[in-house]
Amino acid sequence: MLPLKLLFRDWRGGELALIATALVLAVSCVTAIAHFGDRLTRAMHIQSQTFLAAERVVRSSRPVEEAWLDAARKRGLQQAETVSFASMLSAGEQFQLAAIKAVSGAYPLVGQLEMRPEPSAASRAVEGGPAPGQVWLEPRLLPLLNLDIGDPLQVGDAELTVSGLLDHEPDRSDNLFSMGARVLINLGDLAATNTVQPGSRVRYRYLFAGDDTALEDYFNWLEPQLTEHQRVIDLQEGQPRVASALERAESFLYLAGSLAVLLASVAVGLAARRYSLRHTSYVAVMKSLGAGRGQVLRIYLGQLAGLALLATAAGLLIGSVIQAQAVSLMADFFPAEPPPSRAQPLLVGLVTGLACALGFALPPLTRLARTDPMQTLRRDWSNPDRREWLGLVLGPTSMLLLIWWLSGDIAITLALFAGMALLVGGAALMNQLLVRGRLANLGGAWRIALGSLQRRAAFNTLLIAAFGTGLLAMLALVFARTTLIEEWRMQLPENAPNHFLFNIAPHDAEGMEAMLAEHNVTSTEFYPMVRGRLVAINDIPAKEYNEGSERVGALRRELNLSWTENLAPDNRILEGQWWDETDEGVSVEVELAARLNLALGDQLRFSIGGLEVEAPVASFRSLDWNSMRPNFFMIFAPGTLEDFPATYITSFYLPPEKKLFVNELVRQYPSVSLIELDKIIERIRDTIGQVSLAIESVMALMLVAGVLVLIAGVRASIAERLQEAAIIRTLGGRRRLLVQSLLVEFGLLGTAAGLLAAAGAELTLAVLSQRVFELPFAWHPLLWLLGPVAGALLVGTAGTLACRSSVSQPPLKVLRELA
Amino acid sequence: MSVVLRAENLHHCVATGEGPLTLLNDISLQLARGESLAITGASGSGKSTLLGLLAGLDVPTGGRIWLAGEEITAMSEEQRAAVRARCVGFVFQTFQLLPGLTARENVMLPSELRGERGAAKRAEEFLARVGLEHRLHHYPRQLSGGEQQRVALARAFCSIAGDGSENHGILFADEPTGSLDAGNGDKVIDLLFQLNAESATTLVLVTHEQRLAERCQSHLRMAAGEIEIAGSAPGDSLSEVSA
Repeated sequence: MLPLKLLFRDWRGGELALIATALVLAVSCVTAIAHFGDRLTRAMHIQSQTFLAAERVVRSSRPVEEAWLDAARKRGLQQAETVSFASMLSAGEQFQLAAIKAVSGAYPLVGQLEMRPEPSAASRAVEGGPAPGQVWLEPRLLPLLNLDIGDPLQVGDAELTVSGLLDHEPDRSDNLFSMGARVLINLGDLAATNTVQPGSRVRYRYLFAGDDTALEDYFNWLEPQLTEHQRVIDLQEGQPRVASALERAESFLYLAGSLAVLLASVAVGLAARRYSLRHTSYVAVMKSLGAGRGQVLRIYLGQLAGLALLATAAGLLIGSVIQAQAVSLMADFFPAEPPPSRAQPLLVGLVTGLACALGFALPPLTRLARTDPMQTLRRDWSNPDRREWLGLVLGPTSMLLLIWWLSGDIAITLALFAGMALLVGGAALMNQLLVRGRLANLGGAWRIALGSLQRRAAFNTLLIAAFGTGLLAMLALVFARTTLIEEWRMQLPENAPNHFLFNIAPHDAEGMEAMLAEHNVTSTEFYPMVRGRLVAINDIPAKEYNEGSERVGALRRELNLSWTENLAPDNRILEGQWWDETDEGVSVEVELAARLNLALGDQLRFSIGGLEVEAPVASFRSLDWNSMRPNFFMIFAPGTLEDFPATYITSFYLPPEKKLFVNELVRQYPSVSLIELDKIIERIRDTIGQVSLAIESVMALMLVAGVLVLIAGVRASIAERLQEAAIIRTLGGRRRLLVQSLLVEFGLLGTAAGLLAAAGAELTLAVLSQRVFELPFAWHPLLWLLGPVAGALLVGTAGTLACRSSVSQPPLKVLRELA
Repeated sequence: MSVVLRAENLHHCVATGEGPLTLLNDISLQLARGESLAITGASGSGKSTLLGLLAGLDVPTGGRIWLAGEEITAMSEEQRAAVRARCVGFVFQTFQLLPGLTARENVMLPSELRGERGAAKRAEEFLARVGLEHRLHHYPRQLSGGEQQRVALARAFCSIAGDGSENHGILFADEPTGSLDAGNGDKVIDLLFQLNAESATTLVLVTHEQRLAERCQSHLRMAAGEIEIAGSAPGDSLSEVSA
């Protein structure tokens, strides 16, 4: 009972409230992020499975051995199969190229097909694809082929009956570059169509789902047997880019959250130290009355445990509420319906609470137990125990382990600590500049403020670093979100293409070019495109050509191969020859060439639809991916790839007032695919806005944690400040002078923190500009103005408010109490 | 009369930046149950250090001490704390009440530290004996200096009252009137000796005040860490307590 009694009675002292507030802040911040991250990860997992229509897929350009499928069956795995290819459909006099997909009965294993039995019916989810003899069409094919439900449709040699309209297939994204509109048939009818012949461009997908262990076992067995024509697609690859951006945002949130936790922990440490000092006399008395070291330890550990548990519970609750709000606000940006919260993230919050409390509050309290009872007789309440190594080791170690655990990356954790050390070094330098300056010559309030700064140099360094961290993160984020993105948009060429057209059939290309010209829409060149895989370099399998080659993304997927006589305006030959000087070979994008360690003249072998093509490297070419024009890693000399079935790609700029032209274009060419970049940019801006909102909220928590550090530090010196203020007032100093000196003291500290933050933010923006946005370095003068002003206002106000009791109490009362 | 406090050849040195500093040199004494001893001397003479060593708050660098029949110089810190909890009470110059606890809770503190039942009732009894039954729920900041020291007296006697069996309790008082005006000081002294007589406790006090020292049965004047004068009354030789 005694620990709890002391806990409740001591609340007025302020340190316990401060410790509790800092713990609540740290726990709620991390709990909210952990919940959010957990739900996001699970949503991405669900979505990835849906995108694959399975848990894992083997993709192949030819049928796989039956033994492989038998092995899966023996392991109890569910299995389905799809075969995709392009083929002409005919209905009476009408013909149309379409993307045909033949599916087995179990397809899809994850996710659902949605179809309509009639054009006017509502779309509904169905189990399995069309029955044998039936075909489902993408709705736009009906008018193109002049068909109705129930009509016969010729697919190759087979006549099938149109029995439904296909609205959605889970693995549709796999079809982005496929030719034409989708047609779904039963796998049993495939042979009868006679469309798949040796050399046909066909994609076989073998879908698997089932028990995790059985899947793992099966793929461990299967993967060594795969050839270059086969590839396993797992959940990671099923994720779309927006989801991975959100995932990066989650990591960033964790890092920002970790900084908030670090600052809150410093506040906990300062408050606990103050509490420990204030309780030295209590413990000395208790020991005089017969309390042993163990008993004192039990009393104070009991207090800490009670406080930490209450604060952690409150933090868990608040964090859970915050994340629920955040998820509902951002639900639209989740890749799938956000799954419900679960208990695991609460563990993250709990561990955070314990790490903060044990790492930072435990050492001062354990030191308390070593108080010498003779101090009651000496009436000396300084803490004579100088063995602070426990605090110096335990606090940083617990934070290091916690942040490592949260981020899952020791390199990032160490970088964060190194950054913090740099920041503390910068803060110490700022502090030196402040106290060594000649500001004291400015007069009374300045002299008092400077005196105070000189006496509290260590704390001031901590304060500048704490606020510097919060302000730096806030400034860098706000400027990155506004200025950098705007600068990036500004550097895009005027009238940069904002629409991409692809999957253009060769026979449509000419008509489409004419239509664009007729409507005064300027497009880039129509580039032919053939899909192929780079399989060998100088007769060595490409993935083995260099150490690390297997990690090069371009070798793990099919590339878009093109050919053209004209070098695009944003392309530049850096080495070798273009087609005006040579008539054979392939021009390779310079960064990919560097990753693959290619030299001019190296022989590259490509596998295209089962056939192989070889070409020497003729040149290395730089290009601008931001030009919004079609660009290619590999451009062949004209005449090399013409025999392969190609589609075309182009891009064009459409001003907003001509937007309706898109409808006309799609109506006339329903089989082409269109990407409206303007809409995507808008969507990206919305996503960044929402993600930034979440990150900025965490940054705000960092600033709150900074305020807690300030309050904790001020409370540590409040007795001293009270005495100084009382003496100055007794000697005739006015209250106004004291308030001014506080404003100057904390204003200067805030300015220093703001300058440090501006320098750090400018550095961060410089790195972001060059690495992410590929922009030249530019100064941000507003940053250098905003940082110090915001710092001075924030720290000046918070510090003066925290010290207000030192100037508001009557000096006689203060001096009597201190005596 | 049974001896409750005995010290033999006490030496105490502390390390300083300029080498070891001797605080006490060759001190021996013994006190029987119910006796009172005043320790006087100039500032820095070592009287508070001696008080602390006799009460087991610290251990001397040389010599031996027996408190309530047990040699505390051979004990660990925890064992000495247990002896203090059982039979030592303290009154300090600056009262040393815990500001977050009420008068009653401050008096209950020693019993609570010992884990005894009925602490509240006993605290109320002792507060009534010092005339503060109407101040049970007041915090130290709401009490005058004299009242605070009376609460401290109640706490000290409650601390050594134990469970009512034979009392080996010793009350150590360090300048108990040092922070009080003359009127309040007299009241506290009267109360101290009255309670001491009622409880048959042994009293060791450090004081600068002649009139307080005169009320003790024995007197020990210290200078530079050594006994200058010891006697049954101030200024007299005190053969029975000196070795």
